[in-house]
Amino acid sequence: MSVKVFRWRAIGPLLVLFVIACVLWWLFADSIARREAQNVGTQMLGAKVEIQDLHLDLRHGDVTIRGLTIASPHEPFKNLLQADEIVADLDVVPLTEKKIIIDRVAANGLRFGTPRQTDGRVATKSGEGIAGRVLAETHDWASQFQIPALQLATGKIGVDSLDPRRLSTTPAAAALDTRADSSRRVWQAAFDTLRLGPALDSASATLEQLKHARATDLATLNEARRAIDRLKRARDRVTALERNVTRGTANLKSGLAGLDSARRRDYAFARSLLKLPSLDAPAVGAALFAPAAIRRFERVLYWTQLARRYMPPGLLPRATTGTKRVRRSGEDIRFPKERALPRFLLRTAELSFLLHPNAAQPQRYAGRLTGLTSDPAVYGRPTTFGASGPQLVAGGLLNHLRGIPVDTAGATVGGITIPTFEMPGVPLRLDPGAAVTQLGFNLNGDTIHARFAIRSSDVRWSRDSTLANTTIGDLIWRTVSGISNLDVEARLAGALQHPDLAVRSNLDQAIADRLRAVLGAQVAAAERQMRERVDALVNDKVAPVRAKVNEAQTQVQAQVAQQRTRLDELQKQLEQRLRELTRIRLP
Amino acid sequence: MFALIKLIQSLFGALHSEGTPGQLAAGIVLGSFLGLTPLLNLHNALIFALLVLLNVSFAGGMLGWALFIPIGFLLDPLFDWIGHSLLLAPSLRGLWTSCYNTPIVPLTNFNNTVVLGSLVFAVLFAVPLFLAARLAVIRYRATIGERVRQSRWYRAVMASKAYNVYKMFRP
Repeated sequence: MSVKVFRWRAIGPLLVLFVIACVLWWLFADSIARREAQNVGTQMLGAKVEIQDLHLDLRHGDVTIRGLTIASPHEPFKNLLQADEIVADLDVVPLTEKKIIIDRVAANGLRFGTPRQTDGRVATKSGEGIAGRVLAETHDWASQFQIPALQLATGKIGVDSLDPRRLSTTPAAAALDTRADSSRRVWQAAFDTLRLGPALDSASATLEQLKHARATDLATLNEARRAIDRLKRARDRVTALERNVTRGTANLKSGLAGLDSARRRDYAFARSLLKLPSLDAPAVGAALFAPAAIRRFERVLYWTQLARRYMPPGLLPRATTGTKRVRRSGEDIRFPKERALPRFLLRTAELSFLLHPNAAQPQRYAGRLTGLTSDPAVYGRPTTFGASGPQLVAGGLLNHLRGIPVDTAGATVGGITIPTFEMPGVPLRLDPGAAVTQLGFNLNGDTIHARFAIRSSDVRWSRDSTLANTTIGDLIWRTVSGISNLDVEARLAGALQHPDLAVRSNLDQAIADRLRAVLGAQVAAAERQMRERVDALVNDKVAPVRAKVNEAQTQVQAQVAQQRTRLDELQKQLEQRLRELTRIRLP
Repeated sequence: MFALIKLIQSLFGALHSEGTPGQLAAGIVLGSFLGLTPLLNLHNALIFALLVLLNVSFAGGMLGWALFIPIGFLLDPLFDWIGHSLLLAPSLRGLWTSCYNTPIVPLTNFNNTVVLGSLVFAVLFAVPLFLAARLAVIRYRATIGERVRQSRWYRAVMASKAYNVYKMFRP
């Protein structure tokens, strides 16, 4: 009996199933695409992406997004941007390769930094995904900068307890003590091995014989000459030992100098325990403005590093975490290929946005983004963006074409009212007013150069009531309240992992001068107190070591000198007697 | 509970159907693809179409699917490892790069480690599974099959309405 291979009657139900699937797609494609776009966007950016409406028109290759809101990954109740409408011109054929190629995007009604009702941060809270990891990395990076804290409001100088175990003089003294003992033993052993006794005794005996010898007593004369040679050799040994001792004592002396420098380090350490207001002008600038500058650098670095993760250079296979599902996600490996289409490409985006959207006359700006792609090496051109307007010039370039990526961005924004900010450690608020802000950023491989500057000529200051109750507070207030200009510049340069941060401002010198005048005496007294504490802790250890070193040095040098004198004396006597005996006397 | 009853119905319905042991085993093999690999993938649409169109036991397919879902979950780490090894093998890079840049193929998610690993495993496992299932059905029918068919509880289970749905697709 033959068995039929096909079940023809099942074609009908299968077709019905297919039609149902098509109808469901037609009904829910927009919702599915909207939800997917929200999920993917949120996962990629580390902040909530919300879309009010998304419409797919695959026949014409159009995607229209209305009411796009992207939350800020750094600030809880702030949006990164909002867009009224975004229309994308999609290339449909590459969708069959699961590639998204957007020829042109027109974005209208972009607004930046708008407030929001709920916390839109995702990566900060979950710490998952690429965005979470990059956020954590940049946060760690930003926390490496040591910002000196100013405690100007109270003017109090606090002193933390000084832990003797953390002083470096004590172990250095113990080490030098051991070295002194060891040197002393070595020198004594070397001295003993000279065996000067037999040479001296033999020479003394020969000298006695020589005193009673005649000129014709050749054996005695020869013995005297040999004794002189032995004395010379003994003196050479003593000279060698002396050199050795000189070197050793020099080492011990440098050890003593090392104790002094260790003590200076301990003074510096003890000073660091003091909660002193810094009196150097650059430190004042760093204390006041570095946190704000670092925050900006951290954010730019976050976006740059995110771009590097999503737009890596080269053509090697790349693994990313697979789509979330009930089963294990696994990893999606991408295989970019030369002269093929990249996985994602946005050829051109025309942006139109508003600054000061709530002002009476909001200013309209235009921007352009080109070549945003997931595979820069495949696309072959860097990503560029630029924006300009009445008071804005911004531009950037992400060049990930070669092994070492280079990311550059710069912006100058004028007339923007920078929000009032609290001065860290000081109950003062600075309202920069309408300021000009500049930001420059260059990340070349792992070398960073960045600059952030604020300039304003309409600065206003306000103070908390607590500030008025203190002398220092009053002093600071009088100093800064007369300053109406603000000129702050923060620069970052060096290896990305450990860059140098320099902050300067026109407030630095003014505040520092006033502080130095008032607090200088108090600071000096506190530093003196800490030095005395260090001295009290280390003097007991250092003084005996110093004495031991000096004693060892004196003792061994005296021994050497004494033996050398004896050798010289005996040699001299022997040579003199020999000359007397061998002098030719004429009749 | 309904799923469990349905599974039992499927199991006994398939075992006592008029289909040959080969049809039943082929259904189980196709069902195992659905259970072992992540469901929402293009290749599973093809597997489902084959299950419906080919004259194999649909109940066997459902049985294979149900049986291999938990096994698929359990073996996911193994699939991940297999997929990872294959996708990152330097000798296969050319093949994967071509596939990745060919229309339609990327829609299969072959470049996902779990999808590829589980699919390769399912393919390799298909022949032994087919032989084992076929032998098991023959032995069952030859030994206790008739006694089970006559039992009261078998009739109770098969009397359920869900069985009628199954009957639409029995071989």
